[in-house]
Amino acid sequence: MAAASFAYDAEPALTGIDFMVLPGQAVALIGPNGSGKSTLLKGILGLIARTAGDVEVLGQWPAPAGYIGYVPQTDQLDPNFPVSLEQVVMMGRYRSLGWWRMPAKADRRAVAEALETVGLGNRAKTRFGELSGGQQQRGLLARAVASAPRLLLLDEPFNGLDQVNRDALIDTVKRLKKQGVAVLVSTHDLDLARAVCESVLLLNGAQVAFGPRDTVLTLANVQQAFGSVGVEMDEHTIVVPGHGGH
Amino acid sequence: MDLAMLFTAFDLPFMARALLVLVVLSLVAGLVGVLVNLRGLEFISDGLTHAVFPGVAIGFVWGGRDGLFVGAMVAALIAAVVLTVIVKRAVTSDAAIAIVFTAMFSVGIIVVSRETNYVGQLDALLFGRLLTVSPAEVNQTVVVCLIALIIVGSTLKEQVFRAFDLEGSRAAGYRPLVLDVLLNVAIALVVVAASSAVGNLLVLAVLIVPGAVARLVTNRLWLLFPVAAGFAILAAWVGLALGYDASVNGGVDLPSGATVVLVLVAGYVVALIVRLALDRTGGPRRARRVAVAH
Repeated sequence: MAAASFAYDAEPALTGIDFMVLPGQAVALIGPNGSGKSTLLKGILGLIARTAGDVEVLGQWPAPAGYIGYVPQTDQLDPNFPVSLEQVVMMGRYRSLGWWRMPAKADRRAVAEALETVGLGNRAKTRFGELSGGQQQRGLLARAVASAPRLLLLDEPFNGLDQVNRDALIDTVKRLKKQGVAVLVSTHDLDLARAVCESVLLLNGAQVAFGPRDTVLTLANVQQAFGSVGVEMDEHTIVVPGHGGH
Repeated sequence: MDLAMLFTAFDLPFMARALLVLVVLSLVAGLVGVLVNLRGLEFISDGLTHAVFPGVAIGFVWGGRDGLFVGAMVAALIAAVVLTVIVKRAVTSDAAIAIVFTAMFSVGIIVVSRETNYVGQLDALLFGRLLTVSPAEVNQTVVVCLIALIIVGSTLKEQVFRAFDLEGSRAAGYRPLVLDVLLNVAIALVVVAASSAVGNLLVLAVLIVPGAVARLVTNRLWLLFPVAAGFAILAAWVGLALGYDASVNGGVDLPSGATVVLVLVAGYVVALIVRLALDRTGGPRRARRVAVAH
């Protein structure tokens, strides 16, 4: 992606993005709320318009359908929707199934494997809305896994997750990377960035910095991205004054 | 009511035809109605029934009861596409739907009012004439329902995906606009299929109530569809027999379409009471109802 911009309607939401992610590697998107992390993910998916620059996803543009796994934030889903975890994960197979066709044995096996991968094999029949937030997040990750993606996009996957769910999520992402999946993950959480990401893209409406994790994650860069010299950073988190820790 | 009436009433050809039309309608309305429920499209469906009305009226004025079908079909297809676009573009879709479709409904009323015997015609168009459905109309209903069935049946899992997770389905490469047009066309086709039998106003009950009942009865996704269709068929059967019994044995002339609708609604009330009672006694789905209450 070179000098790319994305916009909702005419208002540019994110400009000057210049980075790349290789198969088997992961990039963390870090920036304050509203800095364009979700915008970038949606731009890659083609859900919002690219207004400038060049973008290639898996060598093509627009991004080829069916090769990208997307894990949205779970709070946008209706908890009362009558659908089981297993059925949600099966949605990841729909694209390869095509219209008309109903899931076959191979699809069921892929769903079961994806659920095992995220550690939810025993919750397959549970209604999605009855799962905890962390389990829902892992369920959506399983849906992405079931679609056998080559690029995985995760939007704030650690939000509201306890340690067990965090560990399960990190394990899954590591496993996918080993299989050659490229990963892009937006996060507030430096633990996640340190655990799985080789590179970091710092955002604040525009690109602040991109490069190897430890070179980019300097206090000066982070303060620039979060627009405040009061920002502090330790091993695990970025502390924004007035916001508590993230 | 004499229970035998539940069966003997349908020995009469016109009763059998009415039942056949309603059964076909129930099967499709069950399927489409569940999607309407999952998507929360009740208000849009209401709008569609209003929008189809001028087509029904103009068709009727031009070509009698055969014209009615053609007019409804044309209006329905136009309305479904226009509606999809309005909802996508408008700032507040509810206001846009209400404005456009009440306007169209008024056009229909004015068209019908140019006719002699205005009240009688209007009555038939709005409330249908279930018991005088002709064999030709049965065929038309079956064909239109079949088209709706194919449209929704071939995209069912994608429609459910879209209903559950819009962004996710877009990310997977589905075009919501395409799915929305298809669903709205299917809804419009059900409205058309039902308009000569149960009438333009009552069709809404056939579309919406079975889906709502299914949601009360089960939480299992693929059970929703047969439950909705089965409930609609049961209500149609009981409603028709009740109306027949009342006019033959009770001397009360009950309009059959409206009777069926009331049976549908009564079934919904029963399902709701049972559901609430189960939840109160800590039934298996208590958690869900509590969540709804918030």
